[in-house]
Amino acid sequence: MSLKEILIEPMIPLWLIYLLLLLGGAAAIFQYWLTRKRLVRSRAIALALLRFCTLSLLISFLLNPFSLERKEYKVLPSLAILFDTSPSMELPGRGGKSSRLEEARAFLSEGSNPLLNSLSERFDVSLYALGEAMRSLKEEELTRLRAGKKKGDLGEAMRQLSGKASLALLLSDGNLKWDETVPAGPSLLSLPSGDPKEYRDMLIKEVKAPHQAFRGREVRIDVAIKAYGYRGMTLPVVLKEGSRIIAARDIRITESPAEVGLTLSFTPEKVGQHNLDLSIPAQVGESIAANNRVDLSIRVVRDKIRILMVSGSPSLNYRFMRMALKNDPSIDLLSFVILRTPSDILNVPIREQSLIPFPVDTLFSKELNHFDLLIFDNLPCHLYISPNYYEKMREFIREGGGLAMIGGPHLLDGGRYLGTPLGETLPIKLTGKEVYRRDASFAVRLSRAGRTHPITQLSPDENENENLWRDMPALDGINLLEPKTFKNVLLEGGEGGSQPLLFADSYGKGRTLILATDFSWKWYMGMISRGKSHWAYLRFIERMVRWLTKDASLEPLQITFPETFGEAGQELDFRIKVKEERSDHQFRGEVVLSVFDSEGVKIESHLKASQPLGEYLGFFTPRREGIYRIKVELPNVFQEEFVTIGRPIEEKDGAPDHKRLKEISAATGGNLFLLGEDLLKDIDAYSERGGKSFVEEKRSPLWSLPHALFGLLSLLGAEWYLRRRWGLI
Amino acid sequence: MISRREFLSFGLSLTTGFVLSDPKRSWGAPFPQFFFAQIKYRSGEWDPNPRFAEAIIEELELRTSIDALKERRITTFSDPDLYYFPFLYMAGKYEFEPFTSQEREILRRFLTYGGFLFAENTMGAKGFGFDRAFRVEMKQILPDHELKRLPLDHSVYLSFYLIESVGGRQQVQSYLEGVTIDQWTPVIYSQNDLSGAWARDRFGKWIHECMPGGEAQRSLAFKAGINIIVYSLTSDYKKDVIHHPFIKKRQSL
Repeated sequence: MSLKEILIEPMIPLWLIYLLLLLGGAAAIFQYWLTRKRLVRSRAIALALLRFCTLSLLISFLLNPFSLERKEYKVLPSLAILFDTSPSMELPGRGGKSSRLEEARAFLSEGSNPLLNSLSERFDVSLYALGEAMRSLKEEELTRLRAGKKKGDLGEAMRQLSGKASLALLLSDGNLKWDETVPAGPSLLSLPSGDPKEYRDMLIKEVKAPHQAFRGREVRIDVAIKAYGYRGMTLPVVLKEGSRIIAARDIRITESPAEVGLTLSFTPEKVGQHNLDLSIPAQVGESIAANNRVDLSIRVVRDKIRILMVSGSPSLNYRFMRMALKNDPSIDLLSFVILRTPSDILNVPIREQSLIPFPVDTLFSKELNHFDLLIFDNLPCHLYISPNYYEKMREFIREGGGLAMIGGPHLLDGGRYLGTPLGETLPIKLTGKEVYRRDASFAVRLSRAGRTHPITQLSPDENENENLWRDMPALDGINLLEPKTFKNVLLEGGEGGSQPLLFADSYGKGRTLILATDFSWKWYMGMISRGKSHWAYLRFIERMVRWLTKDASLEPLQITFPETFGEAGQELDFRIKVKEERSDHQFRGEVVLSVFDSEGVKIESHLKASQPLGEYLGFFTPRREGIYRIKVELPNVFQEEFVTIGRPIEEKDGAPDHKRLKEISAATGGNLFLLGEDLLKDIDAYSERGGKSFVEEKRSPLWSLPHALFGLLSLLGAEWYLRRRWGLI
Repeated sequence: MISRREFLSFGLSLTTGFVLSDPKRSWGAPFPQFFFAQIKYRSGEWDPNPRFAEAIIEELELRTSIDALKERRITTFSDPDLYYFPFLYMAGKYEFEPFTSQEREILRRFLTYGGFLFAENTMGAKGFGFDRAFRVEMKQILPDHELKRLPLDHSVYLSFYLIESVGGRQQVQSYLEGVTIDQWTPVIYSQNDLSGAWARDRFGKWIHECMPGGEAQRSLAFKAGINIIVYSLTSDYKKDVIHHPFIKKRQSL
């Protein structure tokens, strides 16, 4: 539609224009008066009129007249068609279609009069794929469209479409991200894919398990199992560590769909990382078998350090060590003191004795793995513990336990450890002729290895630490022993001051130590006698225990992960901290990071020095789901951690959720259309609601038209012609 | 009567020409975990039973796994080795000269930080003589901790024998007293003259009769002595949870 109007826009005030017009009229009258003398009246009037018209035309230009042309345009409403490419769209669709995505594509593009063509006539159509991110599509790309690996985020897509589209059409099975807060955007019409009634699947819908648990305390794992298309069956839910079943329960599926909750519990006995898998068996005709299993990673820590101490007889060494151990609230001590030897005579009936039997079999056969550390204090082992248990003890140490042997005449059981599995674990060379001497008091000093070893680091300052040990009260008794290697000797003393006194080494995953004296208690009372504090002895015992039990507070390396891990394909970064005493110049640049995937294959990883000194940033990109092993190495020491990379469990449910689609559509002011419904009819209502138009205005100044110039020239020409004809020129 | 140690020492001395039974020579060997260190204090009678140690040490070695020296060591508060003595012993009949402030400080520090003192009144009179002087000293040395009766569930009654009554040369009281600091009782005190019941002459005969209970009372004195020694080396070990069911069961027999 077009409209034309003539409008004025005066360049000067109107009253001035009127004044000018008045002056023009006066000028014409004056001209009439002048020409009347020489011409007849009619001719004088004609010339005066012509002059007045010319002046009036010129003055009218000051009104700035222009013509205005208005044109109104109507535009087609924009329609965004979203193809959900979430993983579940890869599952078989209705009508024999290979996938739900194919079903959606066919619904839109196939048939004698494809819906897409009809929509294009009514709308300005834009196509989008809604996967990990929303992206534009061309129509010819539709046939190549495939489901992705991540759920589409509908909320984010609607936010992006806000202002761009007046209407959105979603083709989805309902398995997409929607955060329930309705963003400002177009109304959403949904076309559902997949058939909820025909869908068959069993899946682990939800798992609530702690990331960290305490050794010896029950761990409860809450599980929700969802079943679609199966009923009247019993299903085992199994929790395994490797091939070992650690918990299992049966659940009964009575209806479809059904969600059954259960709790599995187990009590971890070993400290460390436990990589578990929770599974239900795959059923015939299941749509997704991968969601029948979930990997779990639980770090088991100890609530207390459990120590089994066996002392050969009552002694001051026992009493002071017991006091030091009992003084530490993080230690749970079970101690046995051999109060009588087999040759000692008891002169009273049993009811008058407080002696209890030494439960050797229970302790060393059944309960050994419940402890973190064994302490044999001057124990004539052969009298009480059968060598048959030595193999168990070696296994205990190899698997991460600690063993400390405290000196005295019976330290090495009269040479009986020679050639035994227990003897093999010790940090000394056994000859069977080891001697215990108590000749004279001797001072102790730190060995080269002892200067940097965590056990003997009583002070962070190296010189202060050395002086501290040099000032320790003298000891009286020493077992003369030969170390396997002098790198394992931390303290020296005895005759000449060079006899090894404290030995520490690793064996398998565990650690062993020998303190070759039964007079370490003098470090306590000796300091008291000098009027000083006894803290050095207490700290020594504490550090000895913590080192032997691999307590994190003494470990030279710490690896810290973020609270939540990303998914496969996303870079994972973590922090590595080298303890103060290990971060000096000699270790700088020698930190080595290795990352292994669940099949043990080393994958690319990077390490970057960070601040403060001794801190590093490690990162790698897991390519797929699974458990990854992270190993950080320093010279002579390493630390390993495990991380589980997986897809969020809720993304593994592939059941079509049309009800949810309907709710989402309704929340945006849209609707859900079912197969067979006349979509075009309903959609027209939305098109009218969303239709828009705009008006175009065109302005043309009249004074710039050639007609105005022509009129002006005509008036002036006519006046000139008449003047000449009538003899005035 | 000759002990095993004396017999072996004598045999060896014949072949080597040395007298190994000399207290000075035998001091370090064979690695004793226990010996009596008796305090010689000023005035009063600090050594009422000079021959008390031999019999109780013999008994200790015969019944327990503890290696001990029969020879006692006489010491004073100025002895630099005082803090290394496992068992400080103090006995007397009569009132003694108050300790100096320095002596009190040494004893306070020794007892507060892990040392052990067994004291006994050998006269048997409550509130007089040694008993009165000792109680005064304890109040001065450990003013925040009272010397009081040790209940029957105290570890000292359970440490080796299960005892319900304390014997001695005399039966002044059937219990022990002590000063307890946290879980540890560094001072144990008896008024029954235990050492009098232990003492034997050089011919092996008991020096004192035990009144009024006779030999049964002496036997109880030995049991108490062994329990006190074992307690001094194991502290409240018998309070560990693992011992509870056994001890309860035996006490109910």
